[in-house]
This record gives sequence, C-alpha cells and structure tokens, in this order.
Amino acid sequence: MISSLYRIFTIGRNTLTESIRQKVLNVLLIFALVLVASSFAFSGLGTPGLDASGMFDAQIKFVKDAGCGAIGIFGFLITLLSTAQLIPQELHNRTIYTILAKPVRRSEFLLGKFVGMVLLLTLCTALMSLAFAATLYWQEKQAVEQTEAVYDRDSRWKADPGRVADYNHDVAGIVAQIRDPQLVEAVLLIYFKLLMTTAIALLISTFATSSIFTIVTTFLIYLIGHMEGTARDFWLASGANSSIWQSGLVGFISLLIPDMNSFTIVDEILAGNKVPWTHMLNLLGYADVYIIVLLAVSVVIFDYREI
Amino acid sequence: MEIPASHMSTCLPLSRRLRRAALVALLLGLWAPCKIVWEQHIAREQDLLRYNGAPMTRQLRDELTQGLTIGVLSGMRNIVADFIWLQVTTEWMNNEWFRMSAYINLCTALQPRAPVFWDMGGWQLAWNASIAAMLDRTQPNELRRLKASRFWVDRGLEIYKRGIENNPTYWRLWSDTGMLYDQRLKDYRSAAHYYRTASEQPNAPVYLERFSAIMYDKLHANDDQAAYAEWKALWERLTPEQRKMKIHQGDRIESEIRRLEQKLSIPKEKRVFPN
Repeated sequence: MISSLYRIFTIGRNTLTESIRQKVLNVLLIFALVLVASSFAFSGLGTPGLDASGMFDAQIKFVKDAGCGAIGIFGFLITLLSTAQLIPQELHNRTIYTILAKPVRRSEFLLGKFVGMVLLLTLCTALMSLAFAATLYWQEKQAVEQTEAVYDRDSRWKADPGRVADYNHDVAGIVAQIRDPQLVEAVLLIYFKLLMTTAIALLISTFATSSIFTIVTTFLIYLIGHMEGTARDFWLASGANSSIWQSGLVGFISLLIPDMNSFTIVDEILAGNKVPWTHMLNLLGYADVYIIVLLAVSVVIFDYREI
Repeated sequence: MEIPASHMSTCLPLSRRLRRAALVALLLGLWAPCKIVWEQHIAREQDLLRYNGAPMTRQLRDELTQGLTIGVLSGMRNIVADFIWLQVTTEWMNNEWFRMSAYINLCTALQPRAPVFWDMGGWQLAWNASIAAMLDRTQPNELRRLKASRFWVDRGLEIYKRGIENNPTYWRLWSDTGMLYDQRLKDYRSAAHYYRTASEQPNAPVYLERFSAIMYDKLHANDDQAAYAEWKALWERLTPEQRKMKIHQGDRIESEIRRLEQKLSIPKEKRVFPN
C-alpha cells in the first residue's frame, strides 16, 4: 500500500516538473498573474466619480470579480492544456512503455498523473490568490486614503466625535468587504471546480487519440455542465409531453454531466452575500465524490486500453 | 472476414471490450441516481438561500448578445454583469436614459443578489435621469418636464424596492429609498419608515437612527406626537457615555425633545428632561 502511494507520488512529482517546464503554461501563468494584479484597474470603470464621495462598493465588486474571474479562466486554461497532454504526450514520446514496463500499475500511473495535476493546480491557484490578495490590499489602501480625503474637505472633522464615528464606520465597511474571509471559500470553490475539470479531461484522455479531441470535448462538457441544472429540471419535470429523443438527450446530460453551475455561488460570495459552510461542504463533498467516480471510470478504461 | 495482422495488436478481444463496457456502465449506473439526488439537494439549498440570478430564458438570451450569452453559460455571470454595467455608465454619459434603464434591468436580472447594481441603478434613474428630464429644454413646457422627471423617479423607486425584495438586509437600499421619499417625493412618513428600517439592518451607520426622527420633525405641523415618540426612542437608545459626550448628535436629540415637551405640554413627571 505504502509503496503504491510512493509510486503514485513519484509519478505526480514528475508530472508537476514536466508541467512546470512547459513554456505555454508558464506564459499562461504570467498572463494570469498580470491580469489578477491589474484587476484594480477595472475598479475605476465601476461608476466614475463615486469614489470622490467615498462610495467604493461598485469598485470593490469589480476588483473581486475581475480577480476571481481571472483565477477561474486561467486556471481552466492551465487545467485543460496540461491535462489534455498528459497521456498523449507519454504515448507520443513512448515514455509510457518504459514506465509501464516497470512494476507500476496502470491505475497508479493514472492516479500519479492526477496527483501531479493537483499539485500544479494548487501551485497556480496559490500564486494567483497571492496576487489577488496583494491587489485587494492595494485597493483597500486606496479606498481608505480617498475616504479620508473626502472627510478632509472639512478640516475640523476630527474634532467632531460624530464625524469620527461616521469615518470609522465607512472605513470598517471598506475593510470588511476587502478582508472578507468568505473570499477563501470563493477560491476553494474555484479550485475544486478546476479539479473536477481535470478529472473530466483525464477521463477523456484515457480513450482519446489526440490532445485536441480531449481539449474540445472537455470544453464542451464544461459548457454543458453549466446548463446541466436546466436539463435536469426539464428531465425530471417532463412527462408524456416530451419525445423519447428529447427525454433521452436531457436524461443523458442529467445523469452523466456534472453540475458546474452550482459552483457559480462564487458570484454570491463576491457580491457580499453569506454562504454557509454547511452548503460549502456539501458542494465540496459533491466535487470530491464526483472526482473519485471519474477517476474510477478512468482507471477501468485505461486498464483495458491497448497500448 | 479476417482481421489484418497489423490490426491485431491494437484491437481488444470482444470479451475484454464487453467487460470494460460493463464495468464502466456499472460504475456510472450506481453513481447516476445518487448524483441526481445530491444535485437536487444542492439546488434546493441554493433556492432557499436565494442564490443564482434569473434563469436563462429566451427573453434574457435575446437581450444579451451571443458572446455575453456564452459568458453567462460558461459560469461568468458576474463578469458579464460587470461588463454590462460599463454600458450603463456609457449611456449615463450620453444621456440615453431608456437604454441605461434597459441595461440596469439586465444587470439586476443577472445578479439580483448584488445590491450594488440595485443601489447604483436606482440612483441613476431616480436622480440622474429625473434631474436631466427636469432640465430638458427640448420639452415644450414645465408640466411635461415634471411629468418626465416623475416618470424616472418612479422607475428608480421601483428599482430600489425590487432591490430590497432581493436584498432585504442591505441597509443602503432602505436608506436610499428613504432619501428618495424625503427629498424627491416629500413623503416624510414613508421616508421615516425606510430610514427606521435601514437603521435596524446589520452594519447600518448610527446616524440613520436619527433620520426617521428628522422625518417626523418635517411632519411636525400635524404629527408632533409621533416626532416626540421617535426622538424619545432615539434618546433611550443612546448609551450614558454617548449622551454625555453628545456623540451621534445627542445634543440635537435633547433640544428636540425639550422643544416638543414644551410644545405638547407634557406633564413634568412624564418628561425626559423635567428641568
């Protein structure tokens, strides 16, 4: 058991090293970091002029949306491009024969690849989150300085306890929005969505013959996954009214495609709404179980694949 | 027909292929019903928590462009809403009020739980659009200008009220509605109600507490009793330290209570300030 875990981890570590060496991924990561860091530039687009009256809600929302959006989009691109290459590249370079000729099970090879992707995504998400946190810190500093400038229009405001209390309230509002601990939940949800995408891409690459096929199919499943809820509702509500073909299609989508749209509650967090941890854990548990199922199916398909 | 020797190594025997298919089908068959039940549970929870914007209907799809629809469908609803908000700002600069109103409706439909869209949207319509209508010299007479201005105030009010329905604990929407009733509609009783409710919401600034009393004050010609009750309630809410420090305009509250106690001839034993 321990030796098996060791083999999986070794393959994972090598996968991470190989991925880091890829120029495309490095370029993507640099773009992601630049975009996340420059998300404060979007804040000015909110409603110009309002910052002059100390109202930063729209600006802060824009920064959060742009930052988390960049993490999600670039994370998705990194996931898609790296996972799609994992098996085809091994086959193309014929390195898979050397690995599988050693006492390494196919399942271990596949799980190792997945672990490598998990490590890569953890690294990328952590880096992008750091850039996001730095951007938010910068935005907070700017907002507090501008709020003070608004109060400074009346030079005697610091002598008025009422005005000081109002200032403290305004600053506390800005700080609460920017240092919102729920942002950790948002990043976690994005990360787990990326892990699910990785598992889907890995499953497709176990039977795909080219990386392009894996990329396109995963992208389509990702898109359809956001409409899975609608398909499921239609399928569960449809009775005699829908044709067999309609029922069959939406049934297929409902039964097989993961519900990616549930993870868009990140939007709610970014808009400042509270998402209870119980609901978060429910979603993360769903993602975990889905990943396990996808990996199990991948292992079965890959075990039987003629190489 | 014989399989060519070159293909022999890449084809799986039928029994192995069947076994693989059966195993995959078994795994997915076991998971699929659990998946549906779990997803329904998550969806129910999200409905209860009032998450997610308007569902992607044909009308919404028609209002969004093709690119934005794909954006929404790929889980970037918030970025699409932010992008549309940029159009609101552009239309505001161009004084295209009807277009701006349509974009505001789109943003709020996409993210009804983002209070900032309701807040800013209401402000744009009830203040910017209505003031612009009031100053519109292309209208032939004052009555037309007033009518157009009132139209935008009502639209703004509607946005605020719908915003409150979706975000009932966001104090700023209550406060902005109160301000609209106070400063544009001169309905001080409604304004008092909205300010009072705003002050009861989480993170509401303390100054909102006295706003409802000020509204009753504006109604003083026929509602001195209510104004007195409001000011008294405000005074009782202040801590001894706040009263001593005259913080949160404690001095204003005190002088209003004294004035009303005299005006209403409140018996000394019932007065807050008998001396």
